[in-house]
Amino acid sequence: MAREVISSGNELAALAAIDAGCKFFGGYPITPSSEVAHELSVLLPRVGGKFIQMEDEIGGICVALGASMSGVKSMTNTSGPGMSLKAEQIGLGFIAEVPLVITNVMRGGPSTGLPTRVQQGDINQSKSPTHGDYKSITFCAGNLSECYTEVVRAFNVAEELMTPVIVLLDETIGHMVGKAVLPDLEEVKANLVERAKPDPNVPKNEFLPYDVPEDKPAVIPPFFQGYHFHITGLHHGPTGFPTEDAVLCQNLIERLHRKINSRRKDLLDSYEEYLLDDAEYLVLCYGSVSLAAREAIDRLRAEGKKIGMFRPITLWPSPEEKIAELAQRFPADKILMPELNMGQYIDEVERIMKQRPVSLNKANGRPISPAEIIAKLKEMGI
Amino acid sequence: MRYQLRFTGVGGQGVLLAGEILASAKIKLGGYGVKAATYTSQVRGGPTKVDIILDDNEILYPYANEGEIDFMLSTAQVSYDQFKSGVKEGGRIVLEPNLVTPSADDINKWEIYEIPLISIAKEEVGNVVTQSVVALGITVEMTKCIDRDVVFETMISKVPAKVVELNKKAFELGEKYAREALEKGPLKA
Repeated sequence: MAREVISSGNELAALAAIDAGCKFFGGYPITPSSEVAHELSVLLPRVGGKFIQMEDEIGGICVALGASMSGVKSMTNTSGPGMSLKAEQIGLGFIAEVPLVITNVMRGGPSTGLPTRVQQGDINQSKSPTHGDYKSITFCAGNLSECYTEVVRAFNVAEELMTPVIVLLDETIGHMVGKAVLPDLEEVKANLVERAKPDPNVPKNEFLPYDVPEDKPAVIPPFFQGYHFHITGLHHGPTGFPTEDAVLCQNLIERLHRKINSRRKDLLDSYEEYLLDDAEYLVLCYGSVSLAAREAIDRLRAEGKKIGMFRPITLWPSPEEKIAELAQRFPADKILMPELNMGQYIDEVERIMKQRPVSLNKANGRPISPAEIIAKLKEMGI
Repeated sequence: MRYQLRFTGVGGQGVLLAGEILASAKIKLGGYGVKAATYTSQVRGGPTKVDIILDDNEILYPYANEGEIDFMLSTAQVSYDQFKSGVKEGGRIVLEPNLVTPSADDINKWEIYEIPLISIAKEEVGNVVTQSVVALGITVEMTKCIDRDVVFETMISKVPAKVVELNKKAFELGEKYAREALEKGPLKA
């Protein structure tokens, strides 16, 4: 049975981690994300998990990656400045293929920015959170329920694809309190993804964790089970030990891309379409801005205006095919993209659509209101 | 019907709890309630607002719409000045008169009542932290936007067990002062 709870988005993200089987959290408190950690410090010990508040953001992700290498589902949590500090270790997660869920409750930036206020400033950062060449996965919660469902999905995808997955919340959605409908717990548990295990027919001292097909994730057993392998941030061959072999290095980076690109359609693409059937105008947005957008659309619909919304939930890799389809239906001057930044995702949309929608940008820590969206749409001629 | 409320004060006064209780009570009644706060990075003393939206239908955008707020309660001048513009014309405002003074224009534009809720909490209830529950009692009486008993029960379930009696008293005193204020009528220019 679906569950109805009264909660904040941050608390829901913590609950989701528990329901997804998370057994370890390492992190460092930072506004506006701290409630995720706070809640997990209460919930994790109850399920036999471990919670550690480390000395800083870097320690937080390092210990969480280590826990994941030991075979448990693991998580860290932060806000923009913490993402910057964690950057190098996110890269270790990518190249070494260590599953990890990272929640980023976005606040005003850059630098320490506006600690208590909302922004969607970390959209570009979550596509490229660290140096080097890789493919990053980012989900973005657009309402309270998704603070739960997207964190559960992130755990499943992280384990399935053996990679860190970022879930973006923002100050508005993290701190707002209201009613959320959550999926049935048994159903959530029945659909959990557990990490692939080595073939039991292969002797432990012959097992090669990175010897996998060109579009598949590594199969890494937990430490301390007798397998002979290595984990490193250096380019590595089938055993995990460092190599500079030209072919192995090229294959490794290509595989890190392929294991994600090959799963876009069946695993990663996720979006919401709202009242698109007869729509002549389109609002394309994501995260908490979609709450204002939907309210604006409902008000305009009440006036008889034909308008709908498209909201990507998986931001990276973007739902490219779907966005391209929308470009066939809506001319650029009838698409509005409100963003709480100076226009970050609009660049991706323009790349796909080959046309640039109308933008509505705000980066002063204040939310975009339904009235502002309506005013902009009226300016566009709706 | 949608009801939009705003509590404003400064960080540390505890208005967040009052907002959460109202939203939870509305949800218990089968409706929708959302609380969204705005605060500053100052630990104490920064202007704070809490918007509470109550509706029988789904609420999406969690903040009150500017110019549509039905009721506002304010316990700090800085926050009052910053956030009063959100109140609709003819809307009701309750002020702590020891801390907030409205302008003459304000008195013409809105129905303004003065209730010394911090003094009530401090002197009559005996604990200043109960001011948010005094505020809750005032709000319920002044707005009649939600069943009083459900709010009262929700409040009891949310405050620490050892201070339940104190908070019951705070709530009831809030109601009493609000009734008296309504009988007396709003400020006149």
